[in-house]
Amino acid sequence: MASDLLSIAASGARAARAALDVTAQNIANAQTEGYVRRNAQVEEVATAGGFLRMGDISLSGVRVTGINRNADMFRQAEVRRTGSDLARADTELSGLKTIESAIEQSGVYDSIVEFEAALQQLSSNPTDPSLRAAVMGGADRLASTFNIAASGLDAAGEGLRFEAGAAVDEANVIGGELARVNLRLARAGAGSSDQATLLDQRDKLLERLSGITSISTSFDASGAVTVSTGGQTLVTGGETATLSKATAPDGTVAFAIDGTAVTLAGGSLAGTGLALAEAADVRARLDALADGIAGTINAAQAGGVALDGSPGQPIFAGSGAAGMKAVLTDGAALATAPAGAPAGSRDGSNLAALRQALDTSGAASGANALLFDISSRVAGRTITRDALGAIASSAQATLQQQAGVDLDTEAANLMRFQQAFQASGRAMQVASDIFQTLVGIG
Amino acid sequence: MISLSTSTFYQQTTGQIGSLRTEAEDLQRQIGTGERLSRSSDDPVAAARLRTLARSERLAEIDQRNSDQARSDLQMADDALGSISNAIIKAQTLAMQAANGTLNVDQRAAVGQEIAALRQSLMDIANGRNGAGHALFGGQAIGAAYEQSGTGVVYVGTAGVDPAAIGDGQSVVPGLTGPEVFGLNVNGTDTDLFTVLGNLAAALQAGGDATGAARDALSGLEAGLGKVTTAQTVVGARLGWIEVMDLRRENTAERMTEEKAAVGGADLATTMTRLQEVMTVLEASQASFVRLASLSLFDMLR
Repeated sequence: MASDLLSIAASGARAARAALDVTAQNIANAQTEGYVRRNAQVEEVATAGGFLRMGDISLSGVRVTGINRNADMFRQAEVRRTGSDLARADTELSGLKTIESAIEQSGVYDSIVEFEAALQQLSSNPTDPSLRAAVMGGADRLASTFNIAASGLDAAGEGLRFEAGAAVDEANVIGGELARVNLRLARAGAGSSDQATLLDQRDKLLERLSGITSISTSFDASGAVTVSTGGQTLVTGGETATLSKATAPDGTVAFAIDGTAVTLAGGSLAGTGLALAEAADVRARLDALADGIAGTINAAQAGGVALDGSPGQPIFAGSGAAGMKAVLTDGAALATAPAGAPAGSRDGSNLAALRQALDTSGAASGANALLFDISSRVAGRTITRDALGAIASSAQATLQQQAGVDLDTEAANLMRFQQAFQASGRAMQVASDIFQTLVGIG
Repeated sequence: MISLSTSTFYQQTTGQIGSLRTEAEDLQRQIGTGERLSRSSDDPVAAARLRTLARSERLAEIDQRNSDQARSDLQMADDALGSISNAIIKAQTLAMQAANGTLNVDQRAAVGQEIAALRQSLMDIANGRNGAGHALFGGQAIGAAYEQSGTGVVYVGTAGVDPAAIGDGQSVVPGLTGPEVFGLNVNGTDTDLFTVLGNLAAALQAGGDATGAARDALSGLEAGLGKVTTAQTVVGARLGWIEVMDLRRENTAERMTEEKAAVGGADLATTMTRLQEVMTVLEASQASFVRLASLSLFDMLR
């Protein structure tokens, strides 16, 4: 079969139309999340000459062979990996900041200092009723601020666990979606626009999943993905496993896939886990601090006598920061005088012993150290988060350079394909002219 | 070729302008509050130091209050000692009159009554109250320092005064006990000012020859005056010590305020300059964003 100018030109016009459609599609989806820039793949149609006419000119034009999706698997994997790290650091940091606020804004340190100040003021005149009442007020405030700090920490932990629960649910939903996409991918034709859309969906889901937990992926020929996290398979083909979380008595969380415990290295779930472990640690230290102060004060109380000469009773009851409570309210019950002193004694030696014990036990310095440790951890994590943020955004930019839509490029393409279309049209015109000429000869 | 996709361009610009805004707001807050840190994690080391400084300042405040109270107690004791020495000098004059033998019985009895009255006023001074309502010369006792017992008096206060802490581990004894002021040793015998005056008043009022008793009393009063003068010196020295500690506390407070400003304060000049710098950059990036965003090839295609 010889070449046919008209059909060649028509195929060129068709190819240019297809390329224009793809360009318009790119422009329309410039802001669509997860959309990967497409281009039309075209191929020359060449036919061999017929029998005994091998040397003939045989040109048959062009055809669109498929819609190409400009996604680089390696760059996408990098975006997922760095995104996981960033999500972990972000979640951990925000959790730590909440913990820091809970401890700092409750004013534990200030109330310890105020209590010390009240005791010191009392030492100037141990029998003064108003100064004694001030000490009791200080003790009450001390216990209350410990309660507030403990409940603030509990609330922070509660919020983190709620977030973890929501993220686990979301991960399971995404797992299900991925399995569905996998099944449809197996049926979609290679190079079809349907396949491109499914691949977009797949990559978008994987990116969201990588924000929740670090994942490793492998793809089969059809583009179906096998996802595993923490060494356990989450999605393979149309099958999904269930991610679950369990809460320990100290408030920390552990994760499992279909009952098998997994350690998650990245993603918001890992960050939540780290923040909750930190919260449990801070809580333990806060409890130890509260118990230390209560124990020291109560022991010193027991070593002296109250204003009426009766043996000193414990000021604080309860255990831990949440349970701490000032049970003595009457200032007269404060045992300022040493054991054996008569009623109404101005001897303040037991008060001096009490102050000494409080100072030696390191109540204020302990609270200061606790605050310092949390805040320096927050400061350190902020630096880590900023670094990971820069890495993640550069990975994202690298991917977008290739997969994103640049409107200027599309504008140039629009012009290029329009010209190609016009040129093909012109070729058809020429074919018609030639035909007219040939007809005119006769 | 590096070509930025359109959405990345917008995302990056929003990110940059957003972070500049955050920085400007942070600087604005620093200028407003005068403090560099809004939470401990902004600078954990500085925050820990600031907490320690705040604690020292709070405790120094209490030290100052305790020191003021000790000072007022000592000044009260000083005033009382002044009155006591006046009373002793007056008693000395009267005893001298009684000792020279020119007075008749009635006049001696009158002098005796005056001395008895002086003794009573000394009792009142000894039992006078300090700022907290306790006896000035009673040590740690709650009520009076001396009580009448038969014809004599008995000291019911404690043997010592507890020192008051006035900061930096230093303390001062904010008072004197009765025996430290009124206790005497005349010719090897322990006695006190009240007994000396009581004996003289009784001898003068008894009506007989009291010149001997008056001479005994004179030597007792001499010793008493010496004791009171010594006590005044002791009180003066303690007040001086409080003064020294006050000065020291003032210096420490000044140093702490300076350190607080250096560690956690926002230097106004630096912060303002920094804010101006950030604002300039912010305005420039906003302006360039508008120019860049309006640069679209589509505008050229007609």
